[in-house]
Amino acid sequence: MSREKDAANYAIVFFTAVSVLLLIFPASKLAHTARIAVSYSLYPSLHYGATYGHFVRNVPANFVSLLETDQENRALKDKVRQLELKLQNTAASTAENERLTREMRLSRALPWSGSWARIVGKTPADWYGSFFIDKGSEAGIAVNDTVLGMQDDRAGLAGRVLEVYPKFSKVLLLTNSAASAVCAIAPTGLEALVEGKGTWLLKVSYVPEEPGLSVGAELTTSPGGLLFPAGIFVGRVTKVYPRESFMNFITADVAPAVDVNTLKEVYVLRRNLPAEFSGPLQAEKK
Amino acid sequence: MSIILEVFIYLATGSFYWWWTQNLTVFALAPNLIFAAALCAAILAGPVKAVAWGFFLGLYADMLGASMFGGYALTYSLMAYAVYVLKRHFDMASPFSQLVAALVLSWACMLFYQALSLSFSSINPTGLKIFLVEPFLNALAVPVLFQVFYWFKRRTGVL
Repeated sequence: MSREKDAANYAIVFFTAVSVLLLIFPASKLAHTARIAVSYSLYPSLHYGATYGHFVRNVPANFVSLLETDQENRALKDKVRQLELKLQNTAASTAENERLTREMRLSRALPWSGSWARIVGKTPADWYGSFFIDKGSEAGIAVNDTVLGMQDDRAGLAGRVLEVYPKFSKVLLLTNSAASAVCAIAPTGLEALVEGKGTWLLKVSYVPEEPGLSVGAELTTSPGGLLFPAGIFVGRVTKVYPRESFMNFITADVAPAVDVNTLKEVYVLRRNLPAEFSGPLQAEKK
Repeated sequence: MSIILEVFIYLATGSFYWWWTQNLTVFALAPNLIFAAALCAAILAGPVKAVAWGFFLGLYADMLGASMFGGYALTYSLMAYAVYVLKRHFDMASPFSQLVAALVLSWACMLFYQALSLSFSSINPTGLKIFLVEPFLNALAVPVLFQVFYWFKRRTGVL
């Protein structure tokens, strides 16, 4: 019994020490190695589970959608013909726009390019904090790529890529308490910091009282922020808090552009940010 | 052979938890099967193995989140040790004691993890909804999962 007790004591001391080391030195080689090692335990569920589960789950629905797809296909063919005409007109406008932008040196924004990814892992303990997507470094995803979600036919900012593995990636949601983005408030274009609260709402801070931040004001990513491309819809102000007597700024609640609860797919924008922006966790996991 | 089976059970637990959270969450709520597995392993296994199971299941839970890495590993390791101490005073094999233990330890683990998170990253990780509901879901899940783990232990000698 005493021997068992000794063994238990040694075990708890050892594992506690390792856990505390991981907590105190999250960027150390030890934590990095542990992360990579444990990431392999996620593979069966996140990669194979998501791939095959998707097929199995959708067998009855696939049959119905096959019939519907045929009808849609005919309608879409007509639409494509009309759109191709429009596209020819738009191509000329885009070329002119690009030429003027280049000549006037107005913007550093480039056309968005990226890929769609499916959400394959979302844990209730971190519901508004992060989720996994089924694309990784093999699909060209990199740390700090911007993640967009579609809501009501409009793209909105969902978050950014935090960790990349060969076949899947972890996305840090904007609603995470550790996430933030520099935003411009319409119509004044005033810049403010939008932060996650760990709930379904966001918080906008450091807004001077003068511009009269009002309920319903739209927030988009600002050209001043480096992490996200400018002009992405972030959310709408739902509540403005009165200024505290000891503060120079006001704060407000913001309803995010993308509802995490209904999100199924996301669009990952390639950012090609400088290497200094990438954390130590990138690529080495290949 | 035993270690391969244990790795298999570990991966199966993780995959089952993933499947549940992907398909069966209601209002973003689901039993924390990682916690339930750590508790069941702590009840069934010897102290060293129980703490090791707690640690590795905790690392799995840490990987699923985006905040502290090692927080759940520490929490579940300590929980496994606490269960080892409790086992000497209480009969943890009965469903009722498992239910009560799951309820109490769920709240204890949440509060401990919250304290860790506030200390290390100044983030409050636990929503009120999860704090109020999840322990009851865990309490229902633990006796069921215990029977599964017990069946594995009897048939294969793992844990």
